[in-house]
Amino acid sequence: MEVGQMQRRLVDYTKSLFMEGFLDAQFLQLQQLQDESNPDFVVEVVSLFLDDSEKLLNDLTMALDQPNVDFKKVDAHVHQLKGSSSSIGAQRVKNACIAFRSFCEEQNIDATLRCLQQVKQEYYLVKNKLETMLRLEQQIVAAGGSIPMIELGF
Amino acid sequence: MNPSNGNGSMSTASSSGAWDGRDQFPAGLRVLVVDDDPTCLMIFEKMLKACLYQVTKCNKAETALSVLREHKNEFDIVISDVHMPDMDGFELLKHITSEMDLPVILISADARKQVVMEGVTYGACDYLIKPVRIETLKNIWQHVVRKKARNTV
Repeated sequence: MEVGQMQRRLVDYTKSLFMEGFLDAQFLQLQQLQDESNPDFVVEVVSLFLDDSEKLLNDLTMALDQPNVDFKKVDAHVHQLKGSSSSIGAQRVKNACIAFRSFCEEQNIDATLRCLQQVKQEYYLVKNKLETMLRLEQQIVAAGGSIPMIELGF
Repeated sequence: MNPSNGNGSMSTASSSGAWDGRDQFPAGLRVLVVDDDPTCLMIFEKMLKACLYQVTKCNKAETALSVLREHKNEFDIVISDVHMPDMDGFELLKHITSEMDLPVILISADARKQVVMEGVTYGACDYLIKPVRIETLKNIWQHVVRKKARNTV
């Protein structure tokens, strides 16, 4: 596949992530921060987010698995995930966290367990999407092309 | 280390390291950013550097406080997350306002009015809701200038 085709495929793929709500405008802020002095910024911050979130999700799973659930602790973890996901533009993860927090306040164990499943699902989905997108970018760069800027006109 | 000329609240004379907004205004603004979340901290650092600020980052409030105490006149402004495990942003804010004369901006994903109110009441010069955009950070120098103007009366 030649570079132009790869670039078009990347643009279409990235646009679909915005259209389907996986990413929001905050992600564009990150792309704009990337420049020649820091060409791997997006890859680095996305990897950091994905690794750190996985840890948070494990902590959440453990916290909700206790006989006496410490909802304050659970809420603190969810709050952190909400902050990092919103900062990176992972919209669906962020929205799942918002719902999660309201059930934490109610100390509703069944609902919070369902929320945890929901957040995990959104996390794995966005992880998959972001990794695919970054792989496409890598292929373009490896073939000597440049990564096209996304214009969101909708 | 820059030799500091005494009292942090005197704004007229500037030591060699002080930011007085003259030449490359507001580039060179000396910012300390505190957040226990590594993703957020990395993004803030990059955004602040893109604003041409001089950035020091910390992932613990306790560490931030010792840095500020040891290097009193080497920072112009502090940006801190609210919810942190060891010491939260409010406590850090209280220490800073009582011990030093630095403007503090609080940041949080928590937009509840009572929390924002608490921050502002305790002396935060601003309270930003995550996600923070770079455009917002480009304007934080105003808090430094405003504070200095109030102090030189």
